Amino acid sequence: MFHSPVEILAAFDTGFIWDYRHELWEGFKNTMKVAAIGVALAFVIGLLMGAARAHRIPVISQIGRAYVEVIRNTPILVQMFFLYYGLAQLGYRVEAFTVAWLSIAIWGGAFNTENFRAGFEAVPARFREAGYALGFSPLQTFLNVTLPIGGRIALPSSINTYISVLKNTSLLLVISYPELTSVAYNIQANTFKTIEMFTVLALAYLAIVWTLSALIRLLEARLALPERA
Amino acid sequence: MPEIPDWFRPVAEYMLREGLPETLKIAAVAVTASTLIGLLLGTLMTINFLPLRSVIRLYVEVWRGIPILVTVLFIYWLPAFDIGPLRIQMNAYASAAVGLTLWGSAQVAEATRGAVQSIPKEQHEAAAALGLGWIGRHTFVIVPQALRRLLPPMVGLLVNIIQNTTIAFVIGVSELLETGNRQFENLTLATGNGHPFTIFGFVLVVFFIISFPLTLLARYLERRLV
Repeated sequence: MFHSPVEILAAFDTGFIWDYRHELWEGFKNTMKVAAIGVALAFVIGLLMGAARAHRIPVISQIGRAYVEVIRNTPILVQMFFLYYGLAQLGYRVEAFTVAWLSIAIWGGAFNTENFRAGFEAVPARFREAGYALGFSPLQTFLNVTLPIGGRIALPSSINTYISVLKNTSLLLVISYPELTSVAYNIQANTFKTIEMFTVLALAYLAIVWTLSALIRLLEARLALPERA
Repeated sequence: MPEIPDWFRPVAEYMLREGLPETLKIAAVAVTASTLIGLLLGTLMTINFLPLRSVIRLYVEVWRGIPILVTVLFIYWLPAFDIGPLRIQMNAYASAAVGLTLWGSAQVAEATRGAVQSIPKEQHEAAAALGLGWIGRHTFVIVPQALRRLLPPMVGLLVNIIQNTTIAFVIGVSELLETGNRQFENLTLATGNGHPFTIFGFVLVVFFIISFPLTLLARYLERRLV
């Protein structure tokens, strides 16, 4: 039994972590795999839905609004349960991996729709009018004017969404998808090396999130709109 | 209009009676604590004293960087330890509230720092001219004005925390998702059909009914106040 925080720290077993490096590495790879798929899909969904919302394209825009409000106002954990068990009840056989990337992508897509919508709507109307005056079609105007400017306005907020997407992969523990958190949690449950396992886990996430944030700030500085810099 | 099946009524009543109050209780504790700690840390962060600023910055970046689930699990599984005569052993309910508060206070601190810094310098000077010291200036003049700007993000935080209370499910707190899942498992054992689509759909609906008006309120405040 431990009595003071100092004793707990003194008993910290670094060798133990090394023994489980392969399992943890597998978990890390699964986390990154799901996060990568989730971020890519969230980008595509956000771009298309955000454009539809900003340009008030009938029907798609209303569906987009409902999609965004439902996803943003309900817990992602419940969404995962709903997909995992609900789809099975409807007769679709789904693997944990499918629900993993799907739930992450749907969630990220909703937040990104808002990011891109706000970005596109922030592009002054006179820029688009200038595009039309040059003889651009609506699609050409979007691709050549609204997207390059609005996309860069949306960049900081969409980056925050991607980081949240990555952190949300930890919730996949509840559907037993073997990502980093659930791997570490299972090792912890079998060995009772609580402090060691969770310290590694917390440091791993901080390393991933902080590295990504740093890289992304660099990218952001390069892509920032000149007049806003 | 589809008929409501017989099994649904007791299930829904159980979830609303047992689960919902726990969800709201954890959310209330976490939001209150996050606000108080966050306001204090965020205001202190505006002081131009590097060691203090770095310590608070580290606090903010750490608790925002670690997924809330990992923080909550860590606290929950921490072995009991003594600090002086105090024996610290967290139960599930406290672990969830503390984990959410660490994350929430980091969010509030960051928002507060921005809001306090956006108050013009003249306000500080005018308050100083009235003879107020640093604490008096901030308590009576600067922070109350910053609160106005903070209101919309605070309502947003409330929505976030309410949704993140579902994380307490993982450590067995009887909140809304846990009670729903319990009923799903009971029905599966008893009848072979757990009705997950309806039960988890119902959990989604309850959260939506709570969160959506708050989201609209946050948006309205944003337009009105900022």
